[in-house]
Amino acid sequence: MNRVEFQNVTFGYEKTPVLRELSLTVQTGSFWAIVGPNGSGKTTFLRMLDGQLKPQAGEILVEGRPLSSWSFRQRAEKMSLVRQEFVPVFGYSVFETVLMARSFRREWSLFENAVDRSIAKAALAATDTLKFADRTLGQISGGERQRVFLARALAQETPMLLLDEPTSHLDLKHQIRIFDLLRQMQIEQGKTILLVTHDLNLACQYCDRVLLLGTDGAYIQGTPQTVLNCRQIEEIFEIKVFQGTVRREKFFVPLGHYSKDAPPK
Amino acid sequence: MKHLLTPGKLAWRLTLAGGLLLAVMAACVCIGSEPVSLRKAMQGAAVETPNIDYEILMCVRLPKVLLAAIVGAALACAGVVFQAILRNPLADPYILGISSGAGLGSMLAVMMGWMWTLAGLSAMMTAAFIGAMATVWLVWWIGRLTGRTQTTGLLLAGVVVNAFFSAVIMFLTSIIKASHLQTTLFWLMGSFAEPEKMNLLWVAGSICVLGIGFLMLLGRRLNSLSFGPEEARSMGVPIEQTCFLAFGCAALMTSVAVSLSGLIGFVGLIVPHAVRLAAGPDHRQLLPLSALVGAAFLVIADAAARVVVAPAILPVGVITALAGGPFFLILLIRYTKNIHWGCS
Repeated sequence: MNRVEFQNVTFGYEKTPVLRELSLTVQTGSFWAIVGPNGSGKTTFLRMLDGQLKPQAGEILVEGRPLSSWSFRQRAEKMSLVRQEFVPVFGYSVFETVLMARSFRREWSLFENAVDRSIAKAALAATDTLKFADRTLGQISGGERQRVFLARALAQETPMLLLDEPTSHLDLKHQIRIFDLLRQMQIEQGKTILLVTHDLNLACQYCDRVLLLGTDGAYIQGTPQTVLNCRQIEEIFEIKVFQGTVRREKFFVPLGHYSKDAPPK
Repeated sequence: MKHLLTPGKLAWRLTLAGGLLLAVMAACVCIGSEPVSLRKAMQGAAVETPNIDYEILMCVRLPKVLLAAIVGAALACAGVVFQAILRNPLADPYILGISSGAGLGSMLAVMMGWMWTLAGLSAMMTAAFIGAMATVWLVWWIGRLTGRTQTTGLLLAGVVVNAFFSAVIMFLTSIIKASHLQTTLFWLMGSFAEPEKMNLLWVAGSICVLGIGFLMLLGRRLNSLSFGPEEARSMGVPIEQTCFLAFGCAALMTSVAVSLSGLIGFVGLIVPHAVRLAAGPDHRQLLPLSALVGAAFLVIADAAARVVVAPAILPVGVITALAGGPFFLILLIRYTKNIHWGCS
């Protein structure tokens, strides 16, 4: 069964439309990259899936049922969210943080049980964060923190993962580690992954499908091979890009007027 | 996993804090302008000659100490809730304008010369309670207009309403009769008048205990919520419902405390921070522990208020601010250090 369907979804803030009659089907077990310029509605798209925003027209179906009819709890059983890297106000330990993903399952009980603890431990082990389980979130680096939040999403045991620029503040090594982990989850556990990113090159390397959002509600979807190309990117991002090939997949280098490799005028 | 909260750990820590509170209360009933012997008082009222120690203990000191404990517990608990939901370490029980609402209510009662009592509550206390609850409702309503999940709107609404009502209070202060002024000022500084009826303490105590228990049940949700509404929602927390319940409960507890004792600052701000530093931020533990520590803190502050300028009595709010101010600055410096060097 198709996990998620957007049917003619429209959304806008005030008078500016952000998404216009967006229709798309997310197959179970696929890895989507949502890309586009700032303000093109990437986060809006994710927030609608998360239930924070409701479409102004059209409908979102999850497993054939309108998203609006899902309760908080039911939605939390289906999808988990990883946000941009941030430091929370209070100093929870890594293990406490990951355990929080289990709390909605037995809502009114005061304590976690042994099952919750072993699932949280497994999630920490999978993201290679078990070694600092006792440290607080303020005591570890940004990349480690982001892996902890990924561990929390895994401990929630949802078939879908939503990620909003999870690697935007991370260095190359930590970016790659997160993407590797996600791809591994997709292959080994059949997770459906929707990821908002600015990195077109990582999208080419890791994702099966791309949703490229333009300004004023235009969009293109498909495989990275079909959607991401010089012409498309130059049109939507309004810049010049150089396109090359690594071995199988493409890569893009953005070029400005003063770049050393700036295109001839 | 040394940080993990287990039922055993929670029970042990609560017993320890509870024992501490009892010891503090037992010590503080003996302190005052008139020395009291516990042993003598224990002989009870059944002896033929009037047992003055027993009378002072049971009719004067104990109700005051109990009242201080209830108010301290309520304020500390409310502070925890407001800090968690607003994700602001500087939030305190008065952040939503409760103080100014209650102040305005009590001032009006004094100015109108109301003298009636309602189930042991004086007109001033009743008016303060109504003023507090009405102001919270007003702030909540304005906050909702600015956005359902944004706490900034709520925070700003609280600050603005507080400033506006404070201006009204200052205006009234400047035109009020001098004899009325002293009553209101003393109330605004926070002090424990001798409660006239024990049943008032029972009601306030029950509200406090039930409130803490209920908030503890929301503890895991509050943990998630202190990561922000988006995160909490994705973890299956019904955020609006949780905020409404927790805010409502904390506001009720604060209003009860305020109407019984006036404005006592710093308890709701520093006690949660101190407990968080000592025992961690998990709300299942933070709420009851803060309540016990807050109660002990206020009982001690009240005892100090009784002896510092004996036989006169200082407003207890003066003591909490004098002790709390420096302590809070230490916390602030520590907190800033964390921001600079705590995380790379």
